[in-house]
Amino acid sequence: MGYPYSHDLETVTLLSRHFGDEKARTLAGWKELGGYASLPKALEMEPGEITEVVKNSGLRGRGGAGFPTGVKWSFMPQEPTGPHYLCCNADESEPGAFKDREILRWVPHLLIEGCLIAARAIRAEHVYIYVRGEFFPFSAILRDSVVEAYEGGYVGEDILGSGWNCDVTVHLGAGAYIAGEETGLMSSLMGGRAEPWIKPPFPAQSGAFGRPSTVNNVETLAAVPMIVAEGADWYRQWGTEKSPGTKLWCCSGHLERPGTYELPMGVNLRDVIYEVCGGAPNGRKIKAVIPGGSSTAMLTADELDCSGCYEGMAAAGSSLGTASPIVMNEDTNIVQAMRRIAQFYAHESCGQCVQCREGTSWTARILHRIEEGEGTVADLDTLYHLCEQMTGRTICPLADSVVFPLLSSLDKFRDEYEALIKR
Amino acid sequence: MTDTGDQVKKPLHPAAASSQPFQVADIRPVERLFDDEEGRDRLEKVLSRYPEKRAALLPMLGYAQERNGWVSDQSMEEVAAALDLTPAYVRSVATFYTMYNKHPVGRHLIQVCTCISCHLDEAEEVFERFLSETGTRAGEISEDGKFTVIEAECLGACGFATAVQVNDRYFENVSPDQVPAILDELD
Amino acid sequence: MSDVANHITLTIDGVEVSVEAGTTLLHAAEHAGVVVPHYCYHPGIPSRPAQCRMCLVEIEGQPKLQPSCVFPAGEGMVVHTTSETAETARKSVIEFLLLNHPLDCPICDAAGQCMLQDYAFETGQLRSRYAEAKMVLGRDRVAEDILYFGDRCIVCTRCVRFMEDIAGDNALVVAQRGYKAYIDTFPGKDLDHAFRGNIVDVCPVGALVHEDFVFKARAWDMDSAPGICPGCSTGCNIEINVKENQVVRTKPRLNPDVNSYWMCDHGRRSLVMANRGVRAEAPMVRQQGELEPASWNEALTWVSERLGDSSGLALVSAGVSNETLFYARALLESLGIRGGTFQVEQGEEVTLTGFPKLKLRAERAPNAAGAGLHEFRRSDGLPEVPDGATLVVVGDALAGAPAGYGANAGFFLYIGSHLVPAAHNATAILPAATVPETDGTFVNYEGRVQRFHRALRAPGVARPAWMFLSRLLEHLDAGIGVREIEDAFSAMSEGTPGMEGMTWAGLGLRGELLSEAGQPAVAAE
Repeated sequence: MGYPYSHDLETVTLLSRHFGDEKARTLAGWKELGGYASLPKALEMEPGEITEVVKNSGLRGRGGAGFPTGVKWSFMPQEPTGPHYLCCNADESEPGAFKDREILRWVPHLLIEGCLIAARAIRAEHVYIYVRGEFFPFSAILRDSVVEAYEGGYVGEDILGSGWNCDVTVHLGAGAYIAGEETGLMSSLMGGRAEPWIKPPFPAQSGAFGRPSTVNNVETLAAVPMIVAEGADWYRQWGTEKSPGTKLWCCSGHLERPGTYELPMGVNLRDVIYEVCGGAPNGRKIKAVIPGGSSTAMLTADELDCSGCYEGMAAAGSSLGTASPIVMNEDTNIVQAMRRIAQFYAHESCGQCVQCREGTSWTARILHRIEEGEGTVADLDTLYHLCEQMTGRTICPLADSVVFPLLSSLDKFRDEYEALIKR
Repeated sequence: MTDTGDQVKKPLHPAAASSQPFQVADIRPVERLFDDEEGRDRLEKVLSRYPEKRAALLPMLGYAQERNGWVSDQSMEEVAAALDLTPAYVRSVATFYTMYNKHPVGRHLIQVCTCISCHLDEAEEVFERFLSETGTRAGEISEDGKFTVIEAECLGACGFATAVQVNDRYFENVSPDQVPAILDELD
Repeated sequence: MSDVANHITLTIDGVEVSVEAGTTLLHAAEHAGVVVPHYCYHPGIPSRPAQCRMCLVEIEGQPKLQPSCVFPAGEGMVVHTTSETAETARKSVIEFLLLNHPLDCPICDAAGQCMLQDYAFETGQLRSRYAEAKMVLGRDRVAEDILYFGDRCIVCTRCVRFMEDIAGDNALVVAQRGYKAYIDTFPGKDLDHAFRGNIVDVCPVGALVHEDFVFKARAWDMDSAPGICPGCSTGCNIEINVKENQVVRTKPRLNPDVNSYWMCDHGRRSLVMANRGVRAEAPMVRQQGELEPASWNEALTWVSERLGDSSGLALVSAGVSNETLFYARALLESLGIRGGTFQVEQGEEVTLTGFPKLKLRAERAPNAAGAGLHEFRRSDGLPEVPDGATLVVVGDALAGAPAGYGANAGFFLYIGSHLVPAAHNATAILPAATVPETDGTFVNYEGRVQRFHRALRAPGVARPAWMFLSRLLEHLDAGIGVREIEDAFSAMSEGTPGMEGMTWAGLGLRGELLSEAGQPAVAAE
């Protein structure tokens, strides 16, 4: 199922069944559709049991890193000495990604249920849903749903008479991509600049407000209720051994049918681009695809025959990221596209680490000069040099994120750069 | 084009206190934030959600902008006093984030996404069209006080390019020709 | 293998070291004699953001370089701080920092004492391939006496964290983010903390400068001497920077037991006027009613012939050294003058919350404790001089005295550095060197005896008071003259309770606490 278009490829509607249905976002409507069926079951389970199910399901973080969710939960202390916190990462700011907003606005109660179950698993009694500030329309829907959930006894004290308490707070960001990094998110939540911190301490030791915390993506948490209801094996019937389940693919750029599509993990990337999204409009050929949101390596049109899962995309020399392919047709000026991408990272760098603060800005300026026809061959060497110096040196991977598309564009579209270089 | 609508006013639930919209269609002179019931109520409800006062900072900066359209030095000092923070610290946080306006803006803040996916879909032309139709340069307030037009980074609507945010509303699938109609709708 | 529980053995640059568990690689490297280049880390500031990325080191078996300022040493680790990977990384940090740097070393105070210069030369990263226009931030004021040059700033945040962690005043912050980040205060709220000057000391480059030092002296033009701040009874260890016999700057010197890495702004200013003003430059004796200059020999002989038993009083200063006070006491005893008083200005106390032992203390003099040890007592105000009495003044005790003070004395011996109005009533003036012009010791509020050293040349033939007082005693057959500070100190320590066994050499540059016997008679706090 997809939004706003449907497609003929294998239909999977685990998360997206009710995308487009306004009834699903009200508590009454959601319950009619069978919602909040997993919560009562989870309330009967021990935290460790819930973690075990999710671990066995192989669910991996959908925020881009793909870390096994159950394993992440198991890092939390088994015997709390104080509050634990669950932070739901709804700061979706990666260029190309627009899947979490669909969950927020179509099935907010699914997310709330997922948050509650996850909170129980990690022995937390407060969930902060950190939504990027710009998402006013979608956070408004989520916010109203949280209030409804309180009024309906699904959130707050003595949930559904179980004796267990859990609060949910919807917290808006204010415009910072770096608040999507887990420690950046927690820094921001605590009332600070969204500046990632050096690990250790890890969030499970000391996170939000110095307490053990876990940060999970919206799409990850939305998958939790069904896993708990139906079991780990059930979830594994889709996807691959290493990347079970389904994924919301957000496809953008030069496509006939851009939008959000739920597909099983391991779908062929070619099929996503051509079968599901209809390829590039107006009969134009595709030149390049950045498959996982802008922080992933570019693939040429000939390299799209790869498996859309974590291991498959890595094997193809890129990464799955948030499964957000940005498709560029044959008329695209790759250098200009790369400049715009570099500009994004320069704007979003938090400024702590020298390589990122100075390097992203320098990269954007060089690319701009090349784009304007004022570049030299030495500039290409400098760009390669920058790729090397910005990789693996910083507190968080924002600097690395500009290197992935940049280096691949230099390797695969060198001719476009050279065409703009002054002789 | 598509857009999302307004919300009906209900008494404020504390869980919702930290997520009130703060890009609004109404600019008033800079008001003090906590001298009235509304401000004190908001502060109290927000504070009740966190173990530390400092965590109320972003919601309170948002509240300042909700009331005044921008975050002034006066508001920063008020928020600092309310949360036992220094004004300098509040300023450090306020200037870190893109969405807090450090200067007044037009009644309608028009943010055109020009990031990669929208860039691939003529976002720059949409942006230029907004500038020419409002008669402004980027970041300026139009003479009638109605509009300010700026570029934005990825708004998270990549499949519905070009995305334009006007205060707390999203306009999606915007093409340059649709710009005059959008502007007509904004009073 | 480590055989001591909770000790770790590892190898750094080929040298095996053994450190306590929890030690960072940067500290462990010090044991190996290696200083890992760094900016944002400062040994006196507890927070460690690990954001400058300068201290990255290579650890065998680890895929990524790690920041040594926070990474804990592990058993059996093999660490390389100067491997090709580590050096390339370090070079690139310098390259990045120099991209928008104005390279205004010719007009920057930090030149010659700048960590950016130092590491640029050390890494050999001397050429830039930057072809864009540099960003310009200009100059801003962050305090009434401190300027911020944004273009030179490397955003290491040491200044921000000093103010937050140590001064307890979060008034200096990073504004904006990314390549636009810079340091600022809140508009209209400049820094006014009593310890703000330390942000200039911690700044690794020339981004923060004292306005009263800017453009005054180049690092290589300055001489320096280790001193003790005369501003209050804390006795912060300082470094006095001198150019052409003027004090141009005072900086703190590390003493973990007294002032850590810090000092207050009152102290910084206290030596600015040192050795200026109207000085007593030559001995003077009153012949035929007029003060006439004389040679030292003449003056000491003349004075010793005329000083006799008579009722008398003495005034001393709490700002002179123990050695001077010791010989002053000896002189007074030989004259049969008992007692002797001093005044101390009091001021508001300010604690440095991040190192609470360090305060700008209420007692605004460095050696009230020493004066007490030598049996001088506090007084409020100047005592009346009985007609015809002998008046002995040692030190800067008459700065605020009325011009006629002492005119009715029988014999007024003025031993001081400045010719204040009342000094003109003296029968004899013996010109003393000021504290920065001499060696000596002070006793601080907690009974710590600390050495200070000569930084300036005294004008004319002014000499340390302890030196000519001891010779005066010799003329009076009441003591032995000394020329060396070691001998003066030994003579003093022998006869002073609490100083038994202390030697000048033994005090070193960190000082020593008085023993039980010598705990200050004057209030310690």
